[in-house]
Amino acid sequence: MPTDSDVSTAMNERNESIHGVACTFRSPSDVFHAAEKVRDAGWKIWDVHTPFPIHGMDQAMGLPRSKVPRLTLLGGVTGFITGCLLTWYMNSYDYPLVVGGKPYWSPIFPFPVMYECTILFAAFGTFFGQFILNRLPRHHHPLFDLPQFARTSDDTFMIVLEARDKNFHLDESRNFLLSLGGQEITVIRE
Amino acid sequence: MSTPSAKLSSRWTTYVVVGAIAIIATWLLAIQGAAEHNYRPALSVLLGALFWTSVLIGMLMLTMITRVFDAGWAPVIRRTWEFMIGALPFVLLLSVVPLAFIPSFRHLLWEWTDASHLLPSGHEVGHDPILLAKNWFLNPTFFLIRIALYVVFFGAITWALRRFSFQQDKERDANLTHRMHAISAVGIPASAIVLTMLAFDCLMALSYHWFSTMYGVWFFSLSIRLALATTVIVTYRLSNGGWLDGILNQAHRHVLGCLMLAFTVFWAYISFSQYFLIYTANIPEETFWYNIREFNPITGLKSDWWGVSMYLIFGFFFLPFLSLLFYRSKIIAGRLLTIAGIIFVGGIFDLWFNAVPRQINQAGAPEGFVVSPFLSGYLALDLLAIFGFGALVIGWSLRSSTKAETIPIHDPRILESINYHE
Repeated sequence: MPTDSDVSTAMNERNESIHGVACTFRSPSDVFHAAEKVRDAGWKIWDVHTPFPIHGMDQAMGLPRSKVPRLTLLGGVTGFITGCLLTWYMNSYDYPLVVGGKPYWSPIFPFPVMYECTILFAAFGTFFGQFILNRLPRHHHPLFDLPQFARTSDDTFMIVLEARDKNFHLDESRNFLLSLGGQEITVIRE
Repeated sequence: MSTPSAKLSSRWTTYVVVGAIAIIATWLLAIQGAAEHNYRPALSVLLGALFWTSVLIGMLMLTMITRVFDAGWAPVIRRTWEFMIGALPFVLLLSVVPLAFIPSFRHLLWEWTDASHLLPSGHEVGHDPILLAKNWFLNPTFFLIRIALYVVFFGAITWALRRFSFQQDKERDANLTHRMHAISAVGIPASAIVLTMLAFDCLMALSYHWFSTMYGVWFFSLSIRLALATTVIVTYRLSNGGWLDGILNQAHRHVLGCLMLAFTVFWAYISFSQYFLIYTANIPEETFWYNIREFNPITGLKSDWWGVSMYLIFGFFFLPFLSLLFYRSKIIAGRLLTIAGIIFVGGIFDLWFNAVPRQINQAGAPEGFVVSPFLSGYLALDLLAIFGFGALVIGWSLRSSTKAETIPIHDPRILESINYHE
């Protein structure tokens, strides 16, 4: 790992190789209030890492609602239409067959099929939707190189400002994090 | 004591008096109807009472379910449920009990209790082999014993849940929570059996040839839906100038909205599977129940009951279901209130659909009977009965609110409930 001093002098012209700046905090309330200030400063591409869920952090970070439910709905509607077409094609079009004196196709007797297809495709929409939106699978992340990062699953809270955000400027961002009461500031290389 | 909340509670006498007047008026019309051998006004009394019985049984189940699961969000809302369920035995005592115990009403509503009643086929009920086969269950003596047991059971369990909960306000004893936990653990399966039997006796037995094993579950799902819708409406009022002002928050509404969505789907699942199984099996003993709800037996064309069934599918299922899918519908008070109103009204239609259509003998008709129509002046009487029992329930729960704290201040989870967070 580079020390703090050599990074600050060497990195400005190599901005593209920097992932971002990480900063640790001691307590949930410190990181909570720092997150509110980062949000108010207009940051979009950044994250908070905590050992446990902190209630209200979504609002403190200004995070919008997840987009996964839309993909679930899309999957569900696709599944319902698939179920309709499937039963219509098989029982009424490709091989018309009278079963139990019922019509070739009606919305009633094949409803379990339509309903199960709705659930199956909605589940696909949810599962694969979150994979896509979370950009999974991902086998490595620059944060894993940080020794402090392991402690965010134990007793440390961390804010990471990423270089992709338009507000990012190495020196200013480090000073900004210091002004929020951060403890230990590290620049993360890609 | 001039807070808006105390003012609201002090108005309980007005509600009880208005309710009593409306109930007496429907009863007078029912007595007049019985004299003319007309079952329909007596059915209005039954419908009005069963609507609120359904709401209160749903609230009783929610009270016990949130106790058993130690739901952290529930205590502030549960106290309002505890106020309301106190009215359950009174609603039954003012309707189902006299209707069942007075022979002239019993014979009108439950035709199988009158051995000399004529069937559309021209035979007497007393010689009906279908009834004789079910006689061990459907006989007047056992029927009356069961009705009495329902009142005793619901009276006892609501009394116990209310008493220990109110006692905790004074004694600050966490052991009372454990005791109510135990009562609820026993009470949930017991109530499930009793509400199933109640649905069998009060609704399914109105048409005694027909049977559905889903009926109790259908009644349960309707009860929970109506209880949640009523809870949303009542808590909306109570958070605007009542005892939940400043206490009910977005997260509480979100929970109620999610539960409404879940039980809307559950109701559709149960109602559809009942229809689906009967449609698939195609046994005349079962299909006639849906046939008289779809066709006019004289013309063979779709009747107005078909319109009601379409309303149930689109207005009572799809509309609330699709609107509750959206997060904002569950957290914005006005939208949630609107959806609760749709469910509340739809519940009345569901009861109409289940209770009102019946075969009425008519000489010369192709099958010997006509079906009682949906559109008639009696709908107004049904609504009067629902209004009357509703005012009584609201009045009685406001009276309860003067006897105990309006939120359970010493419930071990009260802080968790007040600070409940999504």
